[in-house]
Amino acid sequence: MKRWQNAILYLVVIYLILLLGPVAGLDLPRIFGEIARSPASLVQQLLVGIVNGAIIAIIALGYTLVYGIIELINFAHGDLFMLGSFMSLTVVGAFGVGDGASPAASLLAVLSALLLSASLCAGLNVLTERYAYRPLRNASRLAPLISAIGVSFIFINLGLFWGGLRSFFPIMGANAASPKSFPDLLPRVDVLQALGIEANIAFTTKDLIVLVVAVVLMVGLHLFVQYTRLGKAMRATAQNREAAKIMGINVNQIIALTFLIGGALAGAAGLLVGLYNNTVVFTMGFTVGLRAFTAAVLGGIGNIIGAMLGGVLIGVLSALSDQYLSSRWTNAWVFAILVVILVFRPGGLLGENVQEKV
Amino acid sequence: MTQQAMKSGNILAAIAALTVLLFGGWSGAVIGWLLGAAAGLMACQGKKIPSPKTGIRLGSNAGLALGIWILIASLIQGLVLFPATGQSSLGVIQGLLFGGVGLVVATFAGWLMGALQGLGSKRQQATRAFLAVILITFPLIDQIARTNWTATVIQILIFALLALGLNIVVGYAGLLDLGYAAFFAIGAYTTGFLSSPQINLEWNFWLVIWIAAAVAALAGVILGAPTLRLRGDYLAIVTLGFGEIVPVVFRNLTQIQIYEPISRIFASLLGRPELAICLVGCDRPFNLTGGEAGINPIGRPTLPLIGTFQSGQYLPWYYLILLLVVFSVLMIGRLRDSRLGRAWSAIREDELAASAMGINLVQTKLLAFAMGATFSGFAGAFYGAYISAIFPSVFDFSVSVIVLCMVILGGLGNMTGVLLGCTIIMAADRLYLPQLAQVLKSILNTLVLPNVANPALRDFLATSIDPIQMRLFLFGLTLVVMMIVRPEGLVPNAERQAELRSPDEESLAEVRSQ
Repeated sequence: MKRWQNAILYLVVIYLILLLGPVAGLDLPRIFGEIARSPASLVQQLLVGIVNGAIIAIIALGYTLVYGIIELINFAHGDLFMLGSFMSLTVVGAFGVGDGASPAASLLAVLSALLLSASLCAGLNVLTERYAYRPLRNASRLAPLISAIGVSFIFINLGLFWGGLRSFFPIMGANAASPKSFPDLLPRVDVLQALGIEANIAFTTKDLIVLVVAVVLMVGLHLFVQYTRLGKAMRATAQNREAAKIMGINVNQIIALTFLIGGALAGAAGLLVGLYNNTVVFTMGFTVGLRAFTAAVLGGIGNIIGAMLGGVLIGVLSALSDQYLSSRWTNAWVFAILVVILVFRPGGLLGENVQEKV
Repeated sequence: MTQQAMKSGNILAAIAALTVLLFGGWSGAVIGWLLGAAAGLMACQGKKIPSPKTGIRLGSNAGLALGIWILIASLIQGLVLFPATGQSSLGVIQGLLFGGVGLVVATFAGWLMGALQGLGSKRQQATRAFLAVILITFPLIDQIARTNWTATVIQILIFALLALGLNIVVGYAGLLDLGYAAFFAIGAYTTGFLSSPQINLEWNFWLVIWIAAAVAALAGVILGAPTLRLRGDYLAIVTLGFGEIVPVVFRNLTQIQIYEPISRIFASLLGRPELAICLVGCDRPFNLTGGEAGINPIGRPTLPLIGTFQSGQYLPWYYLILLLVVFSVLMIGRLRDSRLGRAWSAIREDELAASAMGINLVQTKLLAFAMGATFSGFAGAFYGAYISAIFPSVFDFSVSVIVLCMVILGGLGNMTGVLLGCTIIMAADRLYLPQLAQVLKSILNTLVLPNVANPALRDFLATSIDPIQMRLFLFGLTLVVMMIVRPEGLVPNAERQAELRSPDEESLAEVRSQ
């Protein structure tokens, strides 16, 4: 009897999706038709999604590291990343390299931007932790979350202000709030063609560089957390702060270090997004940040490998949604995924489900 | 206690002086009238006032102190600031006149409030009656003094409704809702659908406002249901997700075409697409929400003697929203003291204990969401009719956070505090910041810019010094500072204060989560 009820329930849900889905772009017959007509564009979108997902994963790591260690949803992290991309844009502008600059000049500009943007974000994140979150460490759980929302607003406003400094940084353009174009500094040599593969798919050195940098950062972080003394101290603090303290770990320092690493990753991601998408805007911290947070939750928040997996999944899903559903609805679908995961599997894909006990 | 009163008195004086400096003219008299009464009330707060005489002494002293500040500010405004911005000097006489009237009015308001405090057992009723008189006469005084603040006060009251509703969810039931603007949007769009040419329904506003509240409440239940099992911060994120999805949906429901799926599959299998049964938007895609352009125009309320409310005439709108707010305050006060209200505070304190005591968690939480959403449904309906047009961009995340900011600034779970927080934030945002921007701009243009030679610096000063663009920064700073300095808000709720200040809250939380 129960089985029948479930079967009917599933049928009703499927019928409703088929009926109402097309309104939000989820028109399955059309989508299958498009995929059958050009499988190459599916592969293309998968590639775009993986590269974007790798960047999202780096930001997601910042959320997951902080959540892992002090159980705080660091709302300001997305906006920190936005400030990183503004810093990168400023540095690149100061070097005066534009589209099609010489490789040496571009490399120098990009490396300086990476250094400065990562330092800025790391420094800001540590300061934020010191002055906005640390005083609240013993307060109720909601207090630091609200504080983080406040910091996020402060960062958004800083971005708006920064974007309006056209008199000092001409690269910011005339209008403070409008999207700024980021110079296209990465070489665009078609990798597949160079390898002699004939396919109607664009995968250039630009994609490859972004992907490689992202993977190197993630692997580096993983090795750091797993195999160094500091990484061990981080894991110990995450597991039990009191016990870690008793074992002689300076918990405050370790938490500051976590924010430092998360911030540096955000800064790097800020540069990568600028280089890859060639446009930055002060509101992107919120939208990209929420995607990254969704990725962290999808993978299992607090879990580093989970954040990477979640990032790539979210990147691929949003690329597919942009192509096959409708880019206008992508945000809604991403948030729908977030809601569904939190409701049905709050532990995420790789996390354990923690049951609340007395 | 006296020290506290002095401190609040200084804050009032600073606000009054700032108002006079920024707005000038008769604003001193209006602010003197409002704050003089507040100063009189504060001076008598928590004291035994044996006779009206004592109250008059305390109240008129407080009002006088406030009035002196208004006079000084008025003189500075007339003699220094006004000429500095390129306008001709008002002269000592006019400065004295504006300031003097302000002083007299402030003293009188303090005197009156003080006298009412001495009425013994009728003290509270008398204070309420005076407050009611102030609120009812406000637009008239505003018109006489030509300060043009009524439009802003209407906005303040709309947000007061939102803040009161959110206070139920966050303050009473302890469920952090970051997507509250969604219900505001749902209320407003319901009004838009039912009383505009968009889908050819032009129902009466007095009916629609109740439907909007009911739809918002239903949405509260629907969106609240999946979140019931979640812990504090996860709940916050899910509500945030809903808060983001709702505007996207309203933004994008512009080309709806729905086919019956089974017939459509058969039609495509047969290769005859015209066989698919079309349900909605057959001839051309159906535009439900108007997309980015929104819904426009929305029907306005009509009353027998007044006729249809017009957009430029603020009086009827003011009294309508005032009525809504007063009605909500009374209703929420009753709710808070009811069985349900006590169940809310029980689940806020400890869910498990509450459920062990026989409280139905599902029902109680859903009712919190529904009741909270109801009031934003009212606010949305009023907003839609008042602006007569709605756009999806009005209901984004920042609205949810600003309303949350009001609740937290004022004091979670305390209606007086929430109303105060709402007034402070909205007045700062809609009244003081724009005026400050204007004054700064004219000072910059007349005094500073002509003397700056460096073109880059000039451009920077002309474009980047804009207080209006700093509003998010100020909201954020308010949240951060409040959380550190006074997490319980300006007018705290006693239980909530103990909860937020308790040093072993962490161990408590840990005990709960293990």
